[in-house]
Amino acid sequence: MITMKIKSTEIVDTFAEAFKMSGTRVIITAATKQWAMAAAQSMTGFATSVIGCKCEAGIERELNAEETPDMRPGVSVLLFAMDADGLGKRLVERIGQCVMTCPTTACFNGLESDTTAIVGGQLRYFGDGHQIGKVLGDQRLWRIPVMDGEFVVDEHFGIQDAVGGGNILILGKDQKTVLKAATAATKAMCEIDGVILPFPAGVVRSGSKVGSKYKSLIASSNDAYCPTLRTVTGKSLVPEDVNCVLEIVIDGLNEATVADAMRVGLHAAAKPGIKQLSAGNYGGNLGQYHLYLNKILEAS
Amino acid sequence: MTFTTRIVNGKVYDPMNNIDGEIRDICIEDGRIVESMPDDASRIDAGGMVIMPGGIDIHCHIAGAKVNAGRKLMPEDHRRDPHPETAFTRSGTGGIVPSTFATGYRYATLGYTTAMEAAVPPITARHTLEELDCTPIIDKGFYVLLGNNIFLHNLLREGRHEEFRQTIAWWVNATKAYTTKLVNPCGDEPWKGQRNKNITDIDEKVDGISPRIIIEAFVNAVNAMGFPHPPHIHCNNLGHSGNYKTTLETMRTAGDQRLHVAHIQFHSYGGVTGKNPTSKAAEIIEYVNQHPNITCDIGQVMFGNATIMTADAPLAYVLRGFNKNKWVNADTECESGCGILPFTYQEHVYTHTMQWAIGLEMFLLSEDPWRVILSTDHPNGGSFMNYPKLIRLLMDKSFRREEMGRVNQKAIAKTALNDLDREYTLNEIAIITRAGPARALGLKNKGHLGPGADADITIYDDMDDKEMMFNAPRYVIKSGIPIIADHEFRGDHTGRLLHITPEYDQSIEETVKPFFESFYSVEFGNYAIDDSYMHDHEVIQTTKTS
Amino acid sequence: MSLKLSLHTKPDVPLEAAVICTDKLNGANETAIAALTVFHGNDQTALGEFFTVKGQCDGEIHIEGDLANVKHLGSEMTSGKMIIEGDVGQHLGAGMSGGEIIVEGNAGNWVAPEMTGGRVIIKGNAGHMVGSAYRGDAVGILGGEIIIHGNVGNELGSAMRNGLVVAGGNSGDFTGVNMHAGTIIVLGEMGIRSGAGMKRGTILSMHNADMLPTFSHACTYHPYFVRLYLAYIKEQGLTIDDAQLVGNYQRWVGDAIELNRGEILLYVN
Ligand SMILES: [Zn+2]
Repeated sequence: MITMKIKSTEIVDTFAEAFKMSGTRVIITAATKQWAMAAAQSMTGFATSVIGCKCEAGIERELNAEETPDMRPGVSVLLFAMDADGLGKRLVERIGQCVMTCPTTACFNGLESDTTAIVGGQLRYFGDGHQIGKVLGDQRLWRIPVMDGEFVVDEHFGIQDAVGGGNILILGKDQKTVLKAATAATKAMCEIDGVILPFPAGVVRSGSKVGSKYKSLIASSNDAYCPTLRTVTGKSLVPEDVNCVLEIVIDGLNEATVADAMRVGLHAAAKPGIKQLSAGNYGGNLGQYHLYLNKILEAS
Repeated sequence: MTFTTRIVNGKVYDPMNNIDGEIRDICIEDGRIVESMPDDASRIDAGGMVIMPGGIDIHCHIAGAKVNAGRKLMPEDHRRDPHPETAFTRSGTGGIVPSTFATGYRYATLGYTTAMEAAVPPITARHTLEELDCTPIIDKGFYVLLGNNIFLHNLLREGRHEEFRQTIAWWVNATKAYTTKLVNPCGDEPWKGQRNKNITDIDEKVDGISPRIIIEAFVNAVNAMGFPHPPHIHCNNLGHSGNYKTTLETMRTAGDQRLHVAHIQFHSYGGVTGKNPTSKAAEIIEYVNQHPNITCDIGQVMFGNATIMTADAPLAYVLRGFNKNKWVNADTECESGCGILPFTYQEHVYTHTMQWAIGLEMFLLSEDPWRVILSTDHPNGGSFMNYPKLIRLLMDKSFRREEMGRVNQKAIAKTALNDLDREYTLNEIAIITRAGPARALGLKNKGHLGPGADADITIYDDMDDKEMMFNAPRYVIKSGIPIIADHEFRGDHTGRLLHITPEYDQSIEETVKPFFESFYSVEFGNYAIDDSYMHDHEVIQTTKTS
Repeated sequence: MSLKLSLHTKPDVPLEAAVICTDKLNGANETAIAALTVFHGNDQTALGEFFTVKGQCDGEIHIEGDLANVKHLGSEMTSGKMIIEGDVGQHLGAGMSGGEIIVEGNAGNWVAPEMTGGRVIIKGNAGHMVGSAYRGDAVGILGGEIIIHGNVGNELGSAMRNGLVVAGGNSGDFTGVNMHAGTIIVLGEMGIRSGAGMKRGTILSMHNADMLPTFSHACTYHPYFVRLYLAYIKEQGLTIDDAQLVGNYQRWVGDAIELNRGEILLYVN
């Protein structure tokens, strides 16, 4: 059903079904922007979907020296998992393997919250007894001796309820056009603080549905949006003249920021050759958040 | 000041006179207990209360150089426990090692009226007398350390036994002591002379003499001179696993002559030196049960803070390594050594629980309470302020079980404590805290309430919670003077020095003098304490047998 | 409305006024406050004998006058704010666990002994034993912050176990003696025997210092955590230059007669 349009692009009257997750923000600083980014990229690798990777992560933005706790250039990273426990474990793994290992870095909590995960308090054991704890105000830090000096990491990282799986679907006449629209959308969405796009360059082509004919699989290809199956399944949502569909998934620290990101994404993606903009859902019974495209656009 | 009164309606526990909880009147006149008095005398109604003689601590460390060093070592302990003045008493500081005044008052608040300082090197006797004079209310005396005395060692080495005996008598007179004390005999000289050296066997020879030779000589000499209290011995190997053999040998050395074994709990450990101790409480107490010539005090360990203070200098050196706290080690000229350190007994520590349990086992296995006396070796096993709790542990088995649940279970499992259901009666408590120590000390006027006894009396409210009961007597009367009434101080009193004056041949001084001139920092003429140091004092008679 | 106490009579001998503390005066009226007990030497007397009392304490107290002979102000304080307009005597903020004390002048010895939390700021100089253990105790402050803008005496932060102690000026001898942990920053020069007997903890100074022979030089490096501390105290109004923020520091490790786990960091100019 179509009741709204941006320019010539139809906005399908549907909603993105998003889930309650746990999220955190990690601030990585280093001697240079490049080293901070190297650690951030490593830390956010293989973190596209909780189902396959146990967490979803992405780079929120670069930080200037004035913005970081130790006044060095940095990068902020958001990390999401299904619960606080799992998120804590992922933080320990990823900061331990990807940040502690990276020359010159330090790693700080970027989220104030009553719920926290102990991270430095776990990683400190790498110091083999030579680690040093420091307390400054309410902050507890660990200094772990490493070969270029010390790795400094916060004891606690804040964890809060977050929103995962916000999304938009871009349906267009051909791959080139849809890719261009998707790129424009991700660029606009990256300007929003508090959200990340966990998939490669923010875009996913293998959208999924719940369940499979194969018992062992809990998710499978979202055949309703596969153009090759338009006439096969009988439930296709691909209109005629649409030959490519891409999805952008958004995780954010709250519902409003996810909605903001969707809005700027929708506006940026509405280009000639894009027939429809839609969103993925599972009928509304699985996710706690229903982000209606019409409402999001009206709110602006 | 005299005080005449009749205490009526109280339940009297006076084991020496075979009175076990009967309601009797106690009459007091001129500081003594008398048969009767006119009906119009003032009365104390002790209805619902328990009357006992004043408590007697046979072994504690309350005055002198090492106690004072213990005080100086822990200003923090004093700061946290001020002892305010009252209308009758002076202020002081408390903590594990209270100031002299607070020591006297705090003993009084537990119903104790006599305490014996258990280890004084002769050269510090003057200091000790000064402090004892400032320890109010209680009567007191001290045991003079002679077991590591080089001059006495020399006499023994040369087999000069008669001069040895004369010298002991001279030394006891010169210091105003109550009896002789041996601490780890033979142990201090090797410790002072060689790095980390101690002796481990009572037959080990140090320059031709051994601990056994010294113990034997003291037992013979002191018994022959009829001191009211026999040699008071802190055996070799205190605290070391496997030391029970040394303790048994020490007691055997005395034969059938009187000997007092101090803080015997610390000397009843099985196992291998350097490893965790096991309990040999049963073996040791069995020997004590079978040998009426032996008296002992337990030296119970109580959980919490304590201060180790001992003439056993090598022991203090070993202990200082455990808690890495401050410590003192000292050489006392030709006479003794000394070690002091703060210490904490902790429930979860195997060894500490074992020590706690061994002490309780010994109390509960003792067949003759007259000779197995209550002490914590204050402040070594814990402050004397723990006595009420210790009494409750002995009298109340459900409380004991509760406490046993909070300690190191591995250690408890290795003791017989789980099988011991005995509960002390009030009569037995009166024995181990009053009548027993009085008899062991040869104090004929103390520890009982018969006519002629010193009017040292404690009146407790009869309560189910024995800790509460013994913590706060309602009345304490010392030498007939009401000190505490209705739980509050109503009077003060100086207390007497208890000492002995055994006879000796004055010519022995000519033998001793040259040694002083050669090796002491004090002139011989200035060494002996003259009578100007005597204030209120009482000479207890010796009963010469040879 | 805050409470104002003005000293009208200078005490001849030290005046012990532990009662002057936000927690103890909150809500009380002027008469009640003036009647509170203070100790003038060994005399018990009323607070009003020395102070004019004005207003009511709602968590804030202003005190003015030459208080150099007034001791124990803010003892055991847990919350609120005390502003002392002049100099102040010994034992300021002893045992405090929260709140803030600001002294515009100098402070005597024993500033905030046994502190566990809160903050003391001295705009002038302070005496010996700042943030230290009392004699005989093995452990000094367990937390909190003491920031002295001027110079301090000997034994700064002795036996401290946690917290932050800062001297904007110089410190005397035995800075951080016996410290267990925590952080001491001296922007000026330190006296001799810094860190003697320290087990853990950090002493940082912007000047070279005489090191005890039981300290060993480990390396010269740029400790990132120092940036956090320097930024923090810069916010408190102390002067930190950018070179110190990004600079290298010698790391001396000691005290080898103890755990050898402490460090003295000396800025390399
Ligand atoms: Zn003793």
